Amino acid sequence: MALNRKIAYIDLSTGEIETRPIPLDVRKKFLGGRGLDAYLLYNHTKKGCDPLGPDNVLLISGGILTATCASATARTHVMAKSPLTGLLGSANMGGFFAPELAWAGFHHLVIKGKAEKPVYIWIHNGEIEIRDAANLWGKTTTETQWTIREELGDEDVKCAVIGPAGENLVRFANVMTGIKNAAGRTGMGCVMGSKNLKAVAARGTMDIEIAHPVDALEYNKRFIDQITSAKVNKTQGTLGTPFIWGATNSWGGVRCRNFQYNQCEYADDIEPERLDEIATETIGPYHMTGCFGCQVHCRAQYKIPSGPYAGRYDEGPEYTSLGAFGGEPDCKNAVTVLTGNHLVDQYGIDNLEIGSIISWAMELYELGILTSKDTDGLDLRFGNDEALLEMVDRICYRKGWLGDTLADGGILASEKIGKNSFEYLIQVKGMNNLHSDERATPALALNIATASRGSDHLRSRPAIDLYHLPEEVLRKIYSNPVRYDGPLSSEHTSYEGKPWQVFWQENCFMAVDCLGICKYHTVFLGATLPNFEDWPKVLYYNTGLEMTPEEIWEVAERCNTMERLFNLREGLKRDDLKKGDMLNHRYFDEPCRRGAPDVIGKTIDREEFKKMIDEFYEHKGLDENGVVKPETLKRLGLKKEPSHLL
Amino acid sequence: MTIDREKLSAAETLRATRTFGKVRCHNPSCMERLQPPAGADHVKCPTCGMEYRLFWVRPDLPRIRGPVWDVNRRIAEETFARKEGAKAKKAPKKGGK
Repeated sequence: MALNRKIAYIDLSTGEIETRPIPLDVRKKFLGGRGLDAYLLYNHTKKGCDPLGPDNVLLISGGILTATCASATARTHVMAKSPLTGLLGSANMGGFFAPELAWAGFHHLVIKGKAEKPVYIWIHNGEIEIRDAANLWGKTTTETQWTIREELGDEDVKCAVIGPAGENLVRFANVMTGIKNAAGRTGMGCVMGSKNLKAVAARGTMDIEIAHPVDALEYNKRFIDQITSAKVNKTQGTLGTPFIWGATNSWGGVRCRNFQYNQCEYADDIEPERLDEIATETIGPYHMTGCFGCQVHCRAQYKIPSGPYAGRYDEGPEYTSLGAFGGEPDCKNAVTVLTGNHLVDQYGIDNLEIGSIISWAMELYELGILTSKDTDGLDLRFGNDEALLEMVDRICYRKGWLGDTLADGGILASEKIGKNSFEYLIQVKGMNNLHSDERATPALALNIATASRGSDHLRSRPAIDLYHLPEEVLRKIYSNPVRYDGPLSSEHTSYEGKPWQVFWQENCFMAVDCLGICKYHTVFLGATLPNFEDWPKVLYYNTGLEMTPEEIWEVAERCNTMERLFNLREGLKRDDLKKGDMLNHRYFDEPCRRGAPDVIGKTIDREEFKKMIDEFYEHKGLDENGVVKPETLKRLGLKKEPSHLL
Repeated sequence: MTIDREKLSAAETLRATRTFGKVRCHNPSCMERLQPPAGADHVKCPTCGMEYRLFWVRPDLPRIRGPVWDVNRRIAEETFARKEGAKAKKAPKKGGK
């Protein structure tokens, strides 16, 4: 059964490998996936450890439901101390790797040490080997996967790999699987590269016994119907996540020109419908594909229609690639977006981070803070498509002074570039923001300011806040499973009740990350999608583990607190612009200039923002400095951490 | 644990609130529900004047593809000028008499 999947400890310095069961009491406290990884990270690293040193641990996992009959349990989670932020590193990807790992006998890998030379880990039906990877070093992400499959003589082997960016220790390199599935935030591929670990390959045929198979299948049918009938998922299954960028750009909620503007005007050529029209293999409904066990099918397939990479196959682009290679650098050209998306997939680098950092450099160039001497003659102005794609290459291979400098991430780069370059860096905790503009949406601003891995939408964004839902609908969602009688507002420009919504969403997202379910199958983009009330049934029918919605909520709170403990240990301070829950001054000082009339002129109010943070901390059981209160630790059973149970 | 198989969850009960055939105006305080004629390629909000281009995911599922740029840009520029003007009037004057 799912609960007998093991944890493996792999020391790349010594070659020692140890496997252990995961005790039931640990499961009940942390479930699996990201939550259990947070526990392992806190227990297996020491304060101040070098993110690129052998003492950092790399954790790769699936959720407790991974590879069961439950819908969309495809997610692979990767965690370590981040070389980009110096705080929590955490990233999550779809595809087929975590289910294969589970069929090979494992839910969690704890990888420590550093191999003397490039290696890869081969996991098959309970066995683990460390193998030579000299022939893989230098290869792109897809070349690596196919070479491993050929070497092992099995086309069904699934791999989590790094590309050239990870090898070159670019601090925002991805771990990737398949064509475009990316554990793409906080530089987990860089940690993998620092360990000389090119790939983890898995193949398994070990059955997972389902506790109540008939019930599991019957309930899953109901669950799938609820998910696939939602409008948002019908749209996702037709246009993929770019539809979100298009809609958000329409009202003025995306970043353009490094946050100078909140809308990319006349961007018709990069709207998803347009991408569908021009790609050789269309992006429309007949060419959509999905991850393991998913019916939404939000991933488009395409071939680049023209340019130097014409004919190359890829998947996506996602919202983030439209922002990275379209809106943010103000390059309104579909082929540039499709090409940029292809390059980051092949090199294994975070599209979101690289698009943001290049756009930051473009603004610095236009301001004269960077000169053509710094760019080796490259005309790095906004709207220069060729310069944008050239910089992707330079950063991934650390070419030239600027490529090498930007490869270290925004904060280190700003220290090297000097002058007032840091003022223009749109980041939180050292990680660049999603290409969205939150000045008109206080809830979303609070979300990115307080997200545990740095500025990010996938940790606590209450995106349904944008839908103007009636208060009774909001209350039905946000007063469950824990009662909430405080204010809730349908107005997404309001500050009222938003801290609770962000707190609720933080627990919702942690819960699905522990279960291993994709966020498109919960309350993220759709109000009618499953949440806490639905999960106990899925969990019980598939694993036999009995938990109430309230208990799952408490697990989520516990795991979020674990992440907070890690960040506090590594130096998080409430108002610290580089390591705290704080936003760039542009959020407070520069009003939105474009978009819908009621967005125009909006900024985040400093006093209201401070009040939101105070209230958010109160919900989380933190003191006014953002430190976990002793009574919170006691309530969540974390007083003895690190407890070294695993 | 007793699982009530028949009981609908909050998510399931909210299913009745889904609406098809309509889009919402993208202006935050407007959010008017707009019902374009089937297959229409654009729609104008009668309340705030914003205009949008449409895409039909399915015959009963329209989505806003993007703004009618010239119209909405003009509205945005006028609004920005008005709001900035109002702000400038409100701000205390510097210097003495």
